[in-house]
Amino acid sequence: MRIRIALYGALREADASGHVELDVPAGSSIAELRERFAAHLAEHAPAIPSGLVRRSAFASAEEILHNYRTVPEGAELVVLPPVSGG
Amino acid sequence: MSDLHVAVVERRVAALDAAAALDFVSDPRFGGIASFVGRVRDHNVGRVVTGIGYDLFEPLALRLFRAIGERARGEVGAPLRLWIAHARGDLAIGDLAVVVAAGTPHRDEAFRACRFAIEAVKHEAPIWKQEHYVDGDSAWSEGCSLCEEPREAERHEHASHAHGH
Repeated sequence: MRIRIALYGALREADASGHVELDVPAGSSIAELRERFAAHLAEHAPAIPSGLVRRSAFASAEEILHNYRTVPEGAELVVLPPVSGG
Repeated sequence: MSDLHVAVVERRVAALDAAAALDFVSDPRFGGIASFVGRVRDHNVGRVVTGIGYDLFEPLALRLFRAIGERARGEVGAPLRLWIAHARGDLAIGDLAVVVAAGTPHRDEAFRACRFAIEAVKHEAPIWKQEHYVDGDSAWSEGCSLCEEPREAERHEHASHAHGH
């Protein structure tokens, strides 16, 4: 299935459109999506440090999705780099 | 009327309003109000800063602000009115980045609720700061990883999802 991931903070610099789209098998975990995302960035946005992806969280509009969670079907996800509000 | 106000304010539309926050948390029952105002400063780690851009994932940020408010209420164990507002967009030196205000019966509860809320906003809310420097360079701040949640919380979350999904 095709997953659209919106980019924020330092990860916006990975794609000027503000999002990336990835294909992952249905039932994939967030950990598997993270690997796919890291590989995509290594190919298309090599200036983004790989450590940044490891420290970033995936989320829906409702909640943070930890690595063991299943990628929700049909939802747009976001990837959240380490936060620095306030 | 709700006793919790949360907001994300686009800078080009309006500035954050600390006076409105104090008004909102005022109540005849309350003798204590504590507030925190975060402003954009002109330097960071030895570099001259000329401005800041705040990027923000609004739906989750507002949801988290509300959850932080409820946790603050549990922490202080007293009647509480709370205001949490954060700016988005391009801010100049001296602009308000964040305003938190807490009104409670006594000062100790007000200080505790205010401190709890601002620390949680800084560490948990999906907000990112990009500093612009006098030499034309820009950099995103290092920040706190949202992956590093307490393991206990993750196990609890996992257990609750194992049945429902």
